[in-house]
Amino acid sequence: MTARPFLRPISGWTRLARALAPWGRRLILWLFALWCLFPIYWLITMSLKLQVDAMARRPRFVFWPVWDNFAAVLQSAEVWGYLMNSTIVASGATALGLLLGVPTAYVLSRYRFKGAADFGFWILSTRMTPPVAMLIPFFILYVRTGLIDSYLGLIIAHVALNISIIVWLMKGFFDDLPPELEEAAFMDGATYFQAFRHIALPVTLPGIGAVAILSFLFSWNEFLFTLVLADDIRTAPVGLYSFVGYQSVNWGQLSASAVMMLAPVMAFVFVFQKQLVRGLTNGAVK
Amino acid sequence: MTRLLFPPSGGLHLPITRRGMLRASAILAGAGLLSAKGAPLWAQDVYAEFEPLWKAAAIDWTRHSGTTIQIGALSHPWTDAMMPLLPHFTRLTGIEVNLTPQSETEYVAEMPVKLGAGNATPDVYMVWALGQAIEAGWLAPLDEMEANPDISDPAWYDAADVFNSGRSFEKWSDGVTYTRAITAEAQTMFYNQTMLDGAGLAIPATMDELHAAAVALKSDDVAGIVLRAKATGDAAAWPAGGWVFSHGGAIIDPASGAVGLTSAGTVAGVDSYARLLRDAGPVGVGNYHWMECLNDFMAGAAAIGGDSSNFASDIANPEKSTVVGQVSYGALPSAAGLPAKPNMWHWTAGINANSTNKEAAYLFLSWATSKPTSALAAAAGLATSRASAWGTSAFGDRFGAQAASAALANLTAADGDLFKAAWFHPKAPQILDAFAIGVNEAVTATKDAATAMADAAAKLDGQL
Amino acid sequence: MTSRGPAFLRDRPPSLPRRAGIGRGRFILLMLLPATALLVGLTIIPFLVSLGFSFTNYSLVTPDETAGIWLRNYRQLVASEEFWSALRVTLIFTTCAVAIQLGLGVAIAVLLHHETRAVPALRLLYLLPLAITPVAAVFTFRMMFNPTLGVFNFLLKEVGLPAQDWLGTPGMALFSILIVDTWQWTPFMLLIAIGGLAALDEEPLEAAAMDGAGPWQVFRHHTLPMLFPYLVVAVVFRAIDAFKTFDIIFVLTGGGPGIATRTLNLLAYKQGIEFLSLGYAAAIAIVMLIVTIVASQALLRKVGLFKPKAIL
Repeated sequence: MTARPFLRPISGWTRLARALAPWGRRLILWLFALWCLFPIYWLITMSLKLQVDAMARRPRFVFWPVWDNFAAVLQSAEVWGYLMNSTIVASGATALGLLLGVPTAYVLSRYRFKGAADFGFWILSTRMTPPVAMLIPFFILYVRTGLIDSYLGLIIAHVALNISIIVWLMKGFFDDLPPELEEAAFMDGATYFQAFRHIALPVTLPGIGAVAILSFLFSWNEFLFTLVLADDIRTAPVGLYSFVGYQSVNWGQLSASAVMMLAPVMAFVFVFQKQLVRGLTNGAVK
Repeated sequence: MTRLLFPPSGGLHLPITRRGMLRASAILAGAGLLSAKGAPLWAQDVYAEFEPLWKAAAIDWTRHSGTTIQIGALSHPWTDAMMPLLPHFTRLTGIEVNLTPQSETEYVAEMPVKLGAGNATPDVYMVWALGQAIEAGWLAPLDEMEANPDISDPAWYDAADVFNSGRSFEKWSDGVTYTRAITAEAQTMFYNQTMLDGAGLAIPATMDELHAAAVALKSDDVAGIVLRAKATGDAAAWPAGGWVFSHGGAIIDPASGAVGLTSAGTVAGVDSYARLLRDAGPVGVGNYHWMECLNDFMAGAAAIGGDSSNFASDIANPEKSTVVGQVSYGALPSAAGLPAKPNMWHWTAGINANSTNKEAAYLFLSWATSKPTSALAAAAGLATSRASAWGTSAFGDRFGAQAASAALANLTAADGDLFKAAWFHPKAPQILDAFAIGVNEAVTATKDAATAMADAAAKLDGQL
Repeated sequence: MTSRGPAFLRDRPPSLPRRAGIGRGRFILLMLLPATALLVGLTIIPFLVSLGFSFTNYSLVTPDETAGIWLRNYRQLVASEEFWSALRVTLIFTTCAVAIQLGLGVAIAVLLHHETRAVPALRLLYLLPLAITPVAAVFTFRMMFNPTLGVFNFLLKEVGLPAQDWLGTPGMALFSILIVDTWQWTPFMLLIAIGGLAALDEEPLEAAAMDGAGPWQVFRHHTLPMLFPYLVVAVVFRAIDAFKTFDIIFVLTGGGPGIATRTLNLLAYKQGIEFLSLGYAAAIAIVMLIVTIVASQALLRKVGLFKPKAIL
């Protein structure tokens, strides 16, 4: 890719640095990966130990695993319930969020209209209020409209919380699209909607993939509103908190459940990551 | 109802699927969860054995058959003990019960939202800030229902059996009864006897002896003493309160209702607490909550601890603790010739003022705190609110006889008025928060005890 | 797509009118309507209610005594030392967190962009902090930070360094919270930066390298400006969220030691949920909102992110 002009000689040091650079890079990348992994690794080891060993003064990095915690958690209908509820709510919130957010982002990016700047900022501002202040009004609103303790209610709430990120990130991806493509389509007689659906969308698919992942993750980990707006429907964050008892933390089952919850999330990420890669290697905007 | 095959949170372990019964029987026998006849607590045999005891009441138990009530509860030994007994209540009365425990954080965050919005459920709930709840009108008075002969039988209920302090919790200052006490715990000292013996020390009887012992036992690996010092109202305030009371001080003066943080006794108490931790406490004690205290003690990283008597069951659990069998429990040491006044606490449960099933809820409350039910729960190791339940051999076996007697001694020595003045104040959260921050500042040597308490009092000045 | 035009239009006779379908105005309206309806219903109404609360002395403990006190809550807030302390802590935390996460996230993203081996595996590992349920992660960190029993001090002691009081001293506590927040949120910046890098046009970069610019100069003068729009959005969102950080601080220190890590959001929680003074808590929340709006307005206007890139 980079061709050096023949005229400039390369010093020996530069040659050495060039040769080592990939390995230096690799070292940094894998150190960062280790840093990301370590607490998760610790969590996993806690799930495989009895509490007395998990809290031991000299933590044992090599040990004989104890499967009781996983046995308990895998056989618990409640924990499977948390998993299922979280999957339903997060998937629904992502789907609905994309459905509502992507068109909004497209229009904000492409079309000038009166108050566009303020509208865009207002979307951003919906994320700014600290949840604590909104809890009671939200609760009363939900009780009055009957949305309390329902999947739909939770999905709508999550969309309201996360849609600003979806809109603004997608706006960024749409901004990168040169308008010539759509203008050409218009010349050929396409409607606004067709231009959107057949030109803009396919090209920004990798962006949609990235935003879908983020939206899923945000929704999966949302705690406070889900706690207040649903009683019987308990998602992963709310459910896992039940292992924090009154003056006792059930470490073994907390960590085992957390590990169990990782699986669908990583699966979702893995699926969308493929989309991402496919879109990127095909050339995003060339 | 939970369908866990294996036990949930710490303390009491009660599997309740029929499938697991045979396998569980072996565990239960060891855990003392069998009644005298050797059957699991929820079994038909147990019901048959206890039914006459419940039916002995001149109460029309089946009066509200067919209704369903919701119980608001946090994950707690009480909840763990109650859940397997709920089928008995349903068999007795025909009332269905829904109980899903939550963590304390969730519970305390969610309940004000529900109760503040005037929700009809939960019908019965565990009360975490009694003064606040009564002031806000979230609890239904019980006196009228107590006087109703159809649903209440005072002779059978035998309120005199409930600890004095518990009964004083139930009746509010305006003479109205709002709640029933469901547990009893007292501030108790835990001593790692092996370490004490190794250093040739006796169990301290005074605060000075305690300080000396803690300093003597402190080494590079082991902290002399470990006590809560985190700067939140639910952390440092309770244990430090015991120190304050024992030095003749008060957080809120029971007689006048004024803030007592700047009195000589209070400052002396906080100073004693802070010096103990500064001189013999572990590194980072400024952020210690019950979890850190208990974990340190159970891992053998602390020689002395002082916290709720409820921790005895965890300390005696080999799956969690390395010091099983090495622990002695003791009374709170006294200071300067004054009587020791350990802190104590009773969880209470009350009826939602907006509930539509108040009588059914009352039946539940009576049943749950009755003598037979308390005995059953005590057999599972629950520290109930009744003296008779504490006296059963099953409880002694399960809880630990020495732990039980120490806890009982501390419970009787406690001064309910001093406690209630602060913890049941309508603005208790603000008061305890300010107090805890002050204690924390003294422990971390950011301020000396007098200044810390003066600042805390100043903070509360405009608010009460 | 070939130069003949998009496939779906190929069979269309060229004589058809220029734009069939709905008009421009109605198209815009239709695309914006669903999201707007949802947000108006779910954010404006609760916001107005909150605003209303902030002008009263509403307390869940004494709901019958609610009265309008207008700006008294705000005056009380501005006069209280704990408000300014919380504001200071929040601002310090937010600036440090965003700066660190931005730098680290972009650096790793650039390195990853040039990497060729095991990239999917690395990406998956980098997403773990975002994927794990926060309550489990934060409690794990709480145990790891434990001065006596935690693994961090254990590792320090093995290497011969002194054990740290991670959560018990004011400065150290804030630092520890920054560590956890960075651990959890750098992947967010990373993901956006990678997306941006992948969408970049390689030609100007290659041309600059051909002209003899070193990798650092290429990055600074060409890559970074092109990445800028993505990074600004990422920074704004991360700043908004960091300003509201709650779980990490609540579980690790509860606002302590003393009030050294008590942020505005924690203060609002204490006032609203623990003390049940909803009017006062709402005032704190409105002040937080105002600060956030002013700061982000300033930033976004400066960067000019509001002008639509294409006019159609």
